[in-house]
Order: sequence, then C-alpha cells, then structure tokens
Amino acid sequence: MAELIGTLLILAGAVFHLSAGLGLLRMPDAYSRMQAGTKASTLGNTLVVGGIAFFHPDWTLKLLLVIYFVLMTNPISSHALARAAYRIRVPMTSRTAVDALRDSREKSRGGA
Amino acid sequence: MIRRAAIVLAVAQFGLVFAGLLVGHVERQSLPPLGKRYVELVPRELGAANVITGILLSYRAFDTLGEVAVLFMVAASVGLVLARRERRKENLLGDARLATRQASEIVRTGAQILVPLIAIFAVYIITNGHLSAGGGFQGGAVAASSVILLLLADPRQRFDQQLLSGMESTAGILFVLVGVAGLIFANGFLDSRVLPLGQFGTFFSAGAIPLLSVLLGVKVGCELSVILDRFRT
Repeated sequence: MAELIGTLLILAGAVFHLSAGLGLLRMPDAYSRMQAGTKASTLGNTLVVGGIAFFHPDWTLKLLLVIYFVLMTNPISSHALARAAYRIRVPMTSRTAVDALRDSREKSRGGA
Repeated sequence: MIRRAAIVLAVAQFGLVFAGLLVGHVERQSLPPLGKRYVELVPRELGAANVITGILLSYRAFDTLGEVAVLFMVAASVGLVLARRERRKENLLGDARLATRQASEIVRTGAQILVPLIAIFAVYIITNGHLSAGGGFQGGAVAASSVILLLLADPRQRFDQQLLSGMESTAGILFVLVGVAGLIFANGFLDSRVLPLGQFGTFFSAGAIPLLSVLLGVKVGCELSVILDRFRT
C-alpha cells in the first residue's frame, strides 16, 4: 500500500516535471519560461522526493531536509535570475500586459 | 522546412546513439580485478568505509596533492589576470556603478537562511568523507558555493583575502607534514596509517584520512573562495 502511494506520488512529480519541460519549450519569452520551469519543477521535485520517502521510511528526515532545501533555493534562484534578466533588458513577449516591477519602481520614484 | 528536417534528423540520430547504448548495456556482474583489489584492501588496510575517499587520500593522495596544486595555480593566475583588468576598470568607472547594484530583499533574506545550512552541509560532507560519499574536495566546493551566495546577496562584501590565503597555505603545509609523518612513522609519503585505525565505520576511524580530508576541505574551500572573490568586478 505504502509503495503504491509512493509510486503515485513519483508519477505525479514526473508529470509536473514533464509540464516544466513543455513550458520551457513552448513559452514565448524568458520570464514566462522561467516561471513555468521553476514552479513545476519545485512541485515535481517535492512530489518525487516525497514519494521516495514511502519506499525508504528510514530516510524520511533527510528527504524532508532535501525538500526544505529545494523549496528554499529554487524560487530564490529563479527570482534572482529573472531580476538579472530584467536588469539587462531581456525583451518580453509582445503580449505582455502587466509589468509589476516597472510599475512599483515608478510608484516609489513618484512617491519619493 | 529545411531547419525542421535538420532538427528531426538530429533527434533521430541522438535516438539511435542512445538506443545503441541501451541495447549494448550489460550490467557488470563482478568488479574488474583492480577495483576488486581496492574494495578488499581499503577497509582492511585503511579502515575506511568509503573506498573512494580511502583511495584518494592514501594510495592516490600524491595525485590529490597535485590536483590541489593545480587549483592553487589557477587561483594565482586568475588573480594575476583579473587584477590588471580591475585596475583599468577602476580608473574608468569608479565605485559609482557598483553602489547602485544591490540584491533584492528576497535574495538577501534567503542568503541569511541558506548560508549557515550550506556551511553545515559542507562540514558534514568533509568530516564524513571516510564513511559515506563525499570528502575534502566535494565539501570544499560546497563551502565555496555558500561564498557565492554571500557575494550575490551583497556584492560589496569584502572578504579578508589575507586570512583566506593564510588558512589555505597553512592547510597545505599541514597536509604535506602529515604526508612526511607517513614517511617517518608508516610505510611511505601520505600513508594514512600514522594514526590508529580505530573501530571500522565510526567517526574517529580510518587513521589520518579524516584529518587529511579536513585539511583538503579547508584548502579547496579557501582557494575557490579566493577565485570567486577575484571575479567580482
């Protein structure tokens, strides 16, 4: 039973990883590709590692640490990458509707 | 159209190559003679549970010393090349552009949480090198990755280059001294059996291997940190 749950979790994680890969291929610009890759692979990693915990219950503590580490590092690194891309003016797709970073900058500049 | 056909062709060729690997792959049922010898010798002679670290820090420790020397030369030459460029740049730009570059709050807060974690992980890898996967080189690289994170979080951070170089040189000298001790008290240069082997599989075991691992970790970590620090513009 535990192994079945573990297998299903790993399968679900693999599906999310697949969607991350699809997002990297299909999204129109760097920023949306980055967010597709980060979100889906963070959840995918968590599910896969969580699934492994069902197969090896004695590893659970270490696997929890791995999950914590992935949850901490993956969003931060892609945030830093996206900001760096924004700084060097990597072009956005023409369908971009909102640029929250520019808006907030203008607001803070106007307020000061 | 032609581009698409070329892509399909390339994918098909990759598929063929990997299919060949997959079909031709036969799982090894036994170790090759040399590997078998090492797997038997390392736990018996050196008392190290991790055969690879046992080999790297005893039978092949001289090569490891050479690798560290190569890393040291890389650090020195990077300093030589970048120092000249930096001087020219300072004249042109000054510190004005550097001051405007600040990491976002998320990165800074993340670094505060992650750097201690990464440092603990590095120490764990270094000190458990004789028991599980890891060792001085790997742990040193992990330690240097926490230095990258510090630099990303605050690019204006200054490291004490003198302290880093001093620690690195001291670790290097001690490494060689342990090697010389092996020459005097055991069977040869860098023989790890100068210290008692202890209980197999415990933390204090495998002779001088953990000690060499720690020295190697300090040396590699400091060297990589110095290199990274020099890449800052």
